[in-house]
Amino acid sequence: MSIDMTMERMRAINDRYLMFHAMAESVDTDAGFTFSAKDNLTSKDMETCAGSKILIGYKPVFDATSIARMREEGGFLMGKTNMDEFGFGTFSTNSGLEVPRNPHDVERACGGSSGGSACAAAVFEDHVSLGVSTGGSICCPASFCGVYGMAPTYGRVSRYGLIDYGNSLDKIGILSAKAGDLRRYINVMAGKDPKDPTSCVQPELKNEERSMKSVAVPKEGIEGLSKDVESAFNNALEDLKRMGIDVEYVDMPSLRFAMPAYYVLATSEASTNLARYVGMRYGQQEGDLSLKFDDYFSSFRSEYFGDEAKRRILLGTYTRMAGFRDRYYAKALQVRKVVIDDYKRILADHDAVLAPTMPFTAPRFDDISKMSALDSYKADYLTIPANIAGTPHMSVPCGYGSDGMPIGMQFVADHWDENVLFTMAEDWEKEFDLRRPEVTI
Amino acid sequence: MKIGLEIHVQLPTKSKMFCSCPTTDAPAPNTHVCPTCLGMPGSRPVLNRKVLEYGIMLAKMLGCKVADTTWFSRKTYFYPDMSKSVQITQYDNPVGEGGVYYLGGKKPIRITRIHIEEDPGKTKRVGDQSSLVDYNRSGIPLAEIVTEPDLSTPAEAREFLGQLISDIRHVIDLPGDGERSIRCDCNISVGKERCEVKNVTGLKNVERALTYELVRQTKVLKAGGKVERETRRFDEERGVTISVRKKEFEADYGYIDEPDLGMYNIKELAESIKIKESPLQMTLRLARDYEIDQKMAKQLVTTSVSLAEVFETVAKQYGTPNAVKWVAGPVSANWKHMEARGGTPEDVLPAIARFASGEITDTECAMEIKCAMTGESMESLGNATGDLENIISGYLDENPGIVSDYAKNDKAANKAIGYVMKQTGGKYSSAEVVEAVKRIIESRL
Repeated sequence: MSIDMTMERMRAINDRYLMFHAMAESVDTDAGFTFSAKDNLTSKDMETCAGSKILIGYKPVFDATSIARMREEGGFLMGKTNMDEFGFGTFSTNSGLEVPRNPHDVERACGGSSGGSACAAAVFEDHVSLGVSTGGSICCPASFCGVYGMAPTYGRVSRYGLIDYGNSLDKIGILSAKAGDLRRYINVMAGKDPKDPTSCVQPELKNEERSMKSVAVPKEGIEGLSKDVESAFNNALEDLKRMGIDVEYVDMPSLRFAMPAYYVLATSEASTNLARYVGMRYGQQEGDLSLKFDDYFSSFRSEYFGDEAKRRILLGTYTRMAGFRDRYYAKALQVRKVVIDDYKRILADHDAVLAPTMPFTAPRFDDISKMSALDSYKADYLTIPANIAGTPHMSVPCGYGSDGMPIGMQFVADHWDENVLFTMAEDWEKEFDLRRPEVTI
Repeated sequence: MKIGLEIHVQLPTKSKMFCSCPTTDAPAPNTHVCPTCLGMPGSRPVLNRKVLEYGIMLAKMLGCKVADTTWFSRKTYFYPDMSKSVQITQYDNPVGEGGVYYLGGKKPIRITRIHIEEDPGKTKRVGDQSSLVDYNRSGIPLAEIVTEPDLSTPAEAREFLGQLISDIRHVIDLPGDGERSIRCDCNISVGKERCEVKNVTGLKNVERALTYELVRQTKVLKAGGKVERETRRFDEERGVTISVRKKEFEADYGYIDEPDLGMYNIKELAESIKIKESPLQMTLRLARDYEIDQKMAKQLVTTSVSLAEVFETVAKQYGTPNAVKWVAGPVSANWKHMEARGGTPEDVLPAIARFASGEITDTECAMEIKCAMTGESMESLGNATGDLENIISGYLDENPGIVSDYAKNDKAANKAIGYVMKQTGGKYSSAEVVEAVKRIIESRL
């Protein structure tokens, strides 16, 4: 197979949708397939910024394991996709660099934080994109851009080369317009990697087809939905029943606690991960060297971190301070266990937990600018629980709103049981009529 | 006065704690570095298991309870030599807690905890306006040993460190410059409030810094002032401590668990690790367990650890009196000879067994032991030994006072020893003569 793409066309497409921050210098037409990767995965010799001004100029000396394995498989890395700074956001608008535009309506957001990845997966033919999910950053943009997206079990894909947001939550996954790509490329990236000890406890990925028999829909997961999402989801449930899948409504009270616990854990870890960015050693280093080191660090961080990064550093520093640590950080660790137990309880009798992915369709940029930080945090309430539990989860396109924007539903399976999700996506693709955006370039 | 120490010991691994960079002296600054120890975005730590093993060994040496499960934490602070602005250390569940270490075999010094952590790099001042950073040291594994404030004087603190280093060196094969690489945070209080003198290098400086603080705090208190709780540093050149920051500006490190490393169940590993006993500890243990004089225990251990082991074997099988009589006696006397001809200490056990069961007499046992150890034949030895024993017996017959004096002070034997040495003119080694004289005197008591 040869790659049917020119640099000219790539640049023109990127000018319209802004999915890439950095791009390859030339097209490798002999490659087996094309892929792109979220810009928080290190790529040798290609600038990697994680959406942050503070990393401008960082050219890693090593490939992330996930990228290295895709390249070994014959993949051509087209570019690095735009994202919220360090993954801190729901719409990819919290970027210090470029904000990707939704291919179904360029006035709207792609979702986030893997927004550029979802955009690339929707726009390019035969293209797969690597995303990273901490609290929903694969499923949310997959839903907004109308593509399939999967975050496998925590620890399934090596995080070596991932620029950390919350190390105990971060998962590398796949976004694609084709359901079969989930199985194919998660298989390429999965497996133990001695460079990431948390990847070394995984059981082998199963691949025999295993169709879903029953799903549990938590009552807490269908509250506060927009009319479009509610009706698309209900139609999808009817389709699932026609496919022979039992649908049962269940109580899942822990879903309500997942979000506060998530923000405590994620920001606690993030605030320590971001401590290393002080304008030394790599990335942006333009600062006043006559200052004392701590003044230099402070001025540098004040200038180059975005508002949301600063907000999360403050939140995360507060929650781990002496005197607050037990009340917030230690408590959140306990809540994580409660959420896991709740999933285990329900998944003992069902193949997956199912709910809409996002409570609404991709919002317009002007509406997003009116949202408070809390409003946008709340938008993630459906994707956060599976992320805090580390369970594999997948968004599949399930309908379109009255505005024509895609709607997704999210399946959550038990730890290490990606196989039932792969098969579900493949079965669903045969039933569902996916609309690709029109790209006239 | 109360003194507590936090002691940093570099662990002698070949590679760093979380990456494969070498720990040997580097040819130039920033050459033994990689993305992990430079903290580059996307890099990740992988634990060198040897560090855990060393941590467990030291925890055992210090009499600590080794944790069943241990893990790492992130300590966040900003300094140019800390490449991630986060140090991977241990906070909850360190490798060992609650130990006791005996200073000079007597004074118990309580050990609060021992944990393992990575070293930062080094900053070097260049001129007035700038500093350079060398990350070769970044990620070198350290053990931090924290004591309770059980030390009473600066000299005692120095003695404690000296003994500790010598024991550590024995247990984990610390390189020869172990003393130089020891770094200490010293907590000292003369009155109620304590001060911490950070990062003092070497034994001598620890004593100097503590002595300076002792004098300074005493003066403040005598003048009716209050010692303020604060962190100070030691200026080696001037021999003084200088205030760095007051208590209210103490850093809050915001510890969280290190999510990249997970938990380590080390119960089985800890059980499988046996530590080498240091000579001092073995001496103290022999004296305590077998109720023998510390001097005798020390003599056994100093002659050879294997000799001390033979002593233990015999004491366990045939009782302490037999071990004292034979192992501290003829076996010890002939040890060097046996080592020189490559004999094994097990050869002496049959003779002692037969003596213990009453099959052979004192004299026969002594001869058999000597034969076994020196390889001489019973006949030649029989004559010689007979001669030696006859000379001693004859002398003691003529000077019965020696036997009664010996009961009060064993130095009384010296007179007989001197006489016999002179009479035999170098035919027998001094160790043999000493052993035979003492044995015969003791049989007459």
